[in-house]
Amino acid sequence: MCVLYDVLSIVRDKKFMTLDPVSQDGLPPKQVTIQVGIIDLNQKFNKCHKRVYTVGKISAFPLALGLSEEQFEKCPDRDNPQTLQLISKKKSLAGAAQILLKGAERLTKSVTENQENKLQRDFNSELLRLRQHWKLRKVGDKILGDLSYRSAGSLFPHHGTFEVIKNTDIDLDKKIPEDYCPLDVQIPSDLEGSAYIKVSIQKQAPDIGDLGTVNLFKRPLPKSKPGSPHWQTKLEAAQNVLLCKEIFAQLSREAVQIKSQIPHIVVKNQIISQPFPSLQLSISLCHSSNDKKSQKFATEKQSPEDHLYVLEHNLHLLIREFHKQTLSSVMMPHPASAPFGHKRMRLSGPQAFDKNEISSLQSSEGLLEKIIKQAKHIFLRSRTAAATISLASRIEDPQIQAHWSNINDVYESSVKVLITSQGYEQICKSIQLQLNIGVEQIRVVHRDGRVITLSHQEQELQDFLLSQMSQHQVHAVQQLAKVMGWQVLSFSNHVGLGPIESIGNASAITVASPSGDYAISVRNGPESGSKIMVQFPRNQCKDLPKSDVLQDSKWNHLRGPFKEVQWNKMEGRNFVYKMELLMSALSPCLL
Amino acid sequence: MEAPPVTMMPVTGGTINMMEYLLQGSVLDHSLESLIHRLRGLCDNMEPETFLDHEMVFLLKGQQASPFVLRARRSMDRAGAPWHLRYLGQPEVGDKNRHALVRNCVDIATSENLTDFLMEMGFRMDHEFVAKGHLFRKGIMKIMVYKIFRILVPGSTDSTEALSLSYLVELSVVAPAGQDMVSDDMRNFAEQLKPLVHLEKIDPKRLM
Repeated sequence: MCVLYDVLSIVRDKKFMTLDPVSQDGLPPKQVTIQVGIIDLNQKFNKCHKRVYTVGKISAFPLALGLSEEQFEKCPDRDNPQTLQLISKKKSLAGAAQILLKGAERLTKSVTENQENKLQRDFNSELLRLRQHWKLRKVGDKILGDLSYRSAGSLFPHHGTFEVIKNTDIDLDKKIPEDYCPLDVQIPSDLEGSAYIKVSIQKQAPDIGDLGTVNLFKRPLPKSKPGSPHWQTKLEAAQNVLLCKEIFAQLSREAVQIKSQIPHIVVKNQIISQPFPSLQLSISLCHSSNDKKSQKFATEKQSPEDHLYVLEHNLHLLIREFHKQTLSSVMMPHPASAPFGHKRMRLSGPQAFDKNEISSLQSSEGLLEKIIKQAKHIFLRSRTAAATISLASRIEDPQIQAHWSNINDVYESSVKVLITSQGYEQICKSIQLQLNIGVEQIRVVHRDGRVITLSHQEQELQDFLLSQMSQHQVHAVQQLAKVMGWQVLSFSNHVGLGPIESIGNASAITVASPSGDYAISVRNGPESGSKIMVQFPRNQCKDLPKSDVLQDSKWNHLRGPFKEVQWNKMEGRNFVYKMELLMSALSPCLL
Repeated sequence: MEAPPVTMMPVTGGTINMMEYLLQGSVLDHSLESLIHRLRGLCDNMEPETFLDHEMVFLLKGQQASPFVLRARRSMDRAGAPWHLRYLGQPEVGDKNRHALVRNCVDIATSENLTDFLMEMGFRMDHEFVAKGHLFRKGIMKIMVYKIFRILVPGSTDSTEALSLSYLVELSVVAPAGQDMVSDDMRNFAEQLKPLVHLEKIDPKRLM
C-alpha cells in the first residue's frame, strides 16, 4: 500500500511517470493494476514507447512487490494475479506494523522515564513557585527562607527562618494522593498555629484574680485562595503569628515604660488599662496552636461580640507604619559615612536644638497610647449614639434626630442632632446641635452660636439633650405664634421664677391673640413639664369682684385673670399641635 | 553620636563606646550593574539611594609618632545635611575567628565651619577625595558601593579624576562594643554576595 502511495505521488509530479488508460480486454476486472508509463524524453519513438510500457508493466510489478527476479520465478502461482495481490498486501501490512511497533516501544520507554523523573521535576517546579513568593537562600545543603518582616523595616529580634524540605515519604507503587506536594516547609515551633490580637472594652471592673485568663475564641482560619498550595497558607499563618507577637511585644514594652496616671497592667498575654473610670480596655494576644489538645478546649463557642475588629486592624496598620518609617529615605545618612537616623535628629546637634524642639521631633506617642486614644473615641461615640437612641425611643414629643457624618477621623467624629416636632419641622427648627465627638470630650455647637463642652459622663449629655428638648417646645410656640399671627409679649430661655429644675432651666413665653382678647402663657421645664395658662378678658370671667375702681365699662375688655389649661386632656398628637388648636380656638372666626 | 533606643541598652553614664565593624571588597566597573541588582534584591526594600560626598582627612602631628587622624565629610548633593566628623581608632587585635575588622568609632554631626575650626585647633589637611556611589541598608548593616575620585586642584571639587576603574564595596555596622554576633551576620551576608564580590577584612596597617 505504501508503494502504491509513493507511485501515485511520483505520477502526480508528471516528471518521471504518467498514467495511461489500460485496455480492459484480457484482464480480469478484479485486478488492480495501473499502467505505468515511463516517459521517455525523446518523443520521436512513440511506438516503441508503447511497447516499452507493456514491458515496463510486467517488469515493474514484481519490482514493486520488492521481490527479486529469482523469487518471482520461484513463486508457484505467479501468473495468478490474486496470489500476487495477497502477498503484496501481507508485505505492506507487515511493514506498517513494524513501524507502529517501533513507535509504541519508544512511547512506553518515555512514559516509564517520566514516571521516575516526575518527583524530581515537580520538586524543582514547586521550588520555583515558592521562590516567587518568599525569599530563599541556600546554606550548605539546606534551603532556608525568611518569613519575618525584617526586610520591610521591622526591628523585632526573631529570626523568622523556615526550612524547605523534600517530601520523600511517597510510595511509588500506591496511587499518589491528590494533594501530594513534593515540597514541605518546616516553620519554627513557636510560630505554629494561628494568632490574633483581641481588643475589647468591658464596662465593669473585674476582680484582680480574674486577670490572666482570656476568653479566646477560635477564629476560623482566614480562607486562603483556592489555588494556593498548602505551604503558602502555612507560611502566611506563621508570618501573621510573628506580626501579632511583635505588636504585643511593642505594646507591653510601652505599657511598662510609659508613665500614665492610671498604670497599665500587663499579665501574661494581656494588657489592661483604664481609659475612663469604670471602663476597662484589654488587649490580649490569643495564640492557638494546631495540636489536638487545645482544639478540644476551643470548641466551646465564646462570644466574639466584644472584640473590636477595627482596633485590631488599626494595630496592624500602625505597626506597618512604624516599619515603613525605618525604611524611609529620611533615615538614610548623607554624607554616607554618618550613622542611620532621622535627618532632623542629625541636625539637632549642629543647630543647637533645645529640649522642646528635640522632644517635638521624636514621636511622642507610642502604639499603646494611640490605640488607647482610638478606643476612647470609639467608646465615646458609641455612648453618644446610645444616648440619642434611648432618648428617641423614650420621648415621642419632641422628636430627636441624629445625622452622623460619613467621613470620620480615628480621633474625631461629628453628628448633627435635630430636635423637631412631628408635622411642624419647617416651622420649628431652632434647635440644631452640631456635636464634635473627640477623644475625651464632646463639643456642642448650638445654632445660635453657643459652644458647650461636655465631658465623657453620659449623664451630662442626656441632661443637656433633655434641657434642649424642653427649650424646643417654647421656641416652637414662638414660631407658631409668628405663623398664626399672635404677638409675642415675653420670652425667656431661663426663667428665674417658679420651682427650680434639677436639669437645666425652665423656659417661658407669653403670646397674645391678634385681637388682643386672649393671651397664652407657657412655662416648660425639663423635669416639671409644661404648664399652660390662658388669660381671658375681664368680661368673660364671672367670678370677678366688683369694685368701684373701674368707672368705665370699656376696661372690661382688657385681659383679666389666668386659667390653667388641662393640657393632658387637650386634643392633639403633640405639644405644638395642641397649641395650634388652642390658638385657633381662641382666635374666633371673623365671619 | 547615635544613641541607641532606651529599651535596648542600659546607659551606665557618659557616652557608650561604639565600634565599627567593617568588611571591604571591590568590583570592576563592568560588573557594577549586576552587583547593584543583587544588592537591591538582598537588601531592604526601598528606593535606591545615591550619594556624592567630599571627604577631607585632617592630621594633628603631636609628640607621639603616630598622628591623630580625623575625617571630615560633607554631602555635595544634599543641601542642608550637616557635616560629619569621624574618628576611627586602631583595629582591635582580637582572635582570628572574628570575621570583620573592628575599631573604635566616634561619629559627630557638625555645622559648616568645621574646617576652619580644625585648622584653628592645629589640624592640617592631609588629603581629600570625592566619593560617588550607591547606598543600601539591611537592618543595621550599611552597604556602600562607590568610586573614589582624586581632586586635581586642591579646594575645588569640580576637577576630579577617577582613581581606578573599579568600585569600592564596604559593608559596615556601627554597634556598641561587645556584640560579636554582628560580625557573624555580616559574614553571612557577605557569603551571599560571594561570586560577585569577595568581602573580607583588610587590615590597613598591612597595606602601608
